[in-house]
Amino acid sequence: MCSPSDALRLVRAEIVKLVTRRGLVAAAVLLTIGTTVVAYAILELLHLGDPAKHGPAGGTQNFVNATWLLTQLGSIAVILLGATAGAGDLGAGFFRMLVVTGRSRLALFAARLPSGLAVALVLSAAEFALVAAATVLLAGGKATPSPALLVQSGLWIVAYMSVVYLVAVGLASLLGSRSTTIALLVGLQLAVTPVLQEVHGLHVPRELVLGVAVWQLAPRVVQAGAPRSDLAMSQGAIAAVLVGWVAAAVVAGAWKTITREA
Amino acid sequence: MEYVVETHALTKRFGNRTAVDRVELRVPRGSAFGYLGPNGAGKTTLIRILLGLLEPSEGNVSLLGLPQPQERKRALARVGAIVEEPRFHAYLTGRQNLTAIAAARGAAAGARIEPALERVGLRGRADHRVGTYSLGMRQRLGVAACLLADPELLILDEPMNGLDPGGMHELRELLRSFVDEGRTVVLSSHLLDEVERTCDAVAIVDRGRIVAQGSLAHLTASGTRRVRLATGDEVRAHKLLAAAHEVREVARDERGLIVTLQHGAAAGPATARLVQRLVAAGVAVYRVEPGEATLEQRFHEITARLGHERDEEGERDVLAV
Repeated sequence: MCSPSDALRLVRAEIVKLVTRRGLVAAAVLLTIGTTVVAYAILELLHLGDPAKHGPAGGTQNFVNATWLLTQLGSIAVILLGATAGAGDLGAGFFRMLVVTGRSRLALFAARLPSGLAVALVLSAAEFALVAAATVLLAGGKATPSPALLVQSGLWIVAYMSVVYLVAVGLASLLGSRSTTIALLVGLQLAVTPVLQEVHGLHVPRELVLGVAVWQLAPRVVQAGAPRSDLAMSQGAIAAVLVGWVAAAVVAGAWKTITREA
Repeated sequence: MEYVVETHALTKRFGNRTAVDRVELRVPRGSAFGYLGPNGAGKTTLIRILLGLLEPSEGNVSLLGLPQPQERKRALARVGAIVEEPRFHAYLTGRQNLTAIAAARGAAAGARIEPALERVGLRGRADHRVGTYSLGMRQRLGVAACLLADPELLILDEPMNGLDPGGMHELRELLRSFVDEGRTVVLSSHLLDEVERTCDAVAIVDRGRIVAQGSLAHLTASGTRRVRLATGDEVRAHKLLAAAHEVREVARDERGLIVTLQHGAAAGPATARLVQRLVAAGVAVYRVEPGEATLEQRFHEITARLGHERDEEGERDVLAV
């Protein structure tokens, strides 16, 4: 397809396209780091104002709540990044400028995967680091999560955001539309998933929902912070659902990028 | 002669509509070649096929001597192209856009960004966002993007569209300088005057089919014959000439009379008979010279004749130029 150095150049160029888009970066930072800072600032101010009524901002329970918030708003930021990486060139008419260079379309598509993922993970990692720091530093006398739980939760966030990003970039490449992709995935994430999660009679169809399966991977303590769910999926079933979502989106996105009229 | 673009029986159909119809195109190396036709004649479709953006329904394409689409990557590595109009990310600077294109081109292209910006006169604005560029600047940035390939062949689709006279002049000078360096420039256009000023050779396309092709000099010299005459009595001369059966039209300008001969009339003998008639009638003839047809006149002659033939016979004809 192309040499490693060529591939690296393409990935770098994709990163520049994402991080120089000021509106996108501002929205992503606001949805990740911004909301975490605001949430902990409010909790800490409440605690300082009335310590008897409001406990310290840190500690395990607030860690669980903050992790839930991180997954919800952080995933929207990641959807924005994925949709932009997948459909940004098409929307600007720039895709044709790249195709006429003779570079393989598969290489052009492949560069979108690690580039946006790197940006998404840097933001998610920064947000999670803030959550972890606040959990420990603002704990007061409350119990704090063990280092093992922090590491497990961090890895789970990485997995969660990676899956959401790859699905977003694949879907955007398939649809060729940033706004449609954002609407579909945010709707799925914030409206469809919470509803399906509570429909106990659905069983297997419910397990196929991306947001349901990915929560099954979360550490037990963190899962307790999510909306109630009576599901207990096997590790194999979880892996199959997540791999299925990612593979379907990426393969469809690659296929459409190769066959699309430029 | 070596050709950098060759097509054979190239055809593209969209349902019942034939956008490119058995095109036999030959673009000589080192020339500025105009692909000339009205809007909707199939110019962009042909360019898209040449660049592998569309698959032909029938026929063959060769770019830089390499068969397409089998050798597409090798060929496009030495081709710079703009299809329809150059499109960039408006929020990126000119330099950042070129860097993204250079990344797709490969290692050597990165080093060509600065010379390319310099060449098209955009170095001073290279770090400004493309959203702030005028149309002419975007066209020049598009040409700079083409130069990242160090191209043997540039294919430009309607590059003069939307440019003001100054912008057209600059772009024309730039394109001619590429030809002077031995590169080949193919430009599609519906602007006859610009093609005539820029190109050495042209193909005239009508409804997807090439109806005339050759060097500009050959094309404008062929077709309807014109003779320019300077006489001692233009009023009488006009009357006498207009009555002659060899003459289709007589016009007058500041340099004398321009006589358009009937189609098919042999220029030499017909001119001799006309001069004889004038002299016999006592009109002094001071000067006789061949009149040149402009590309625009030739274009209209060809397309009008084809239209007439279509009406008459219900079929199209290719003109030999």
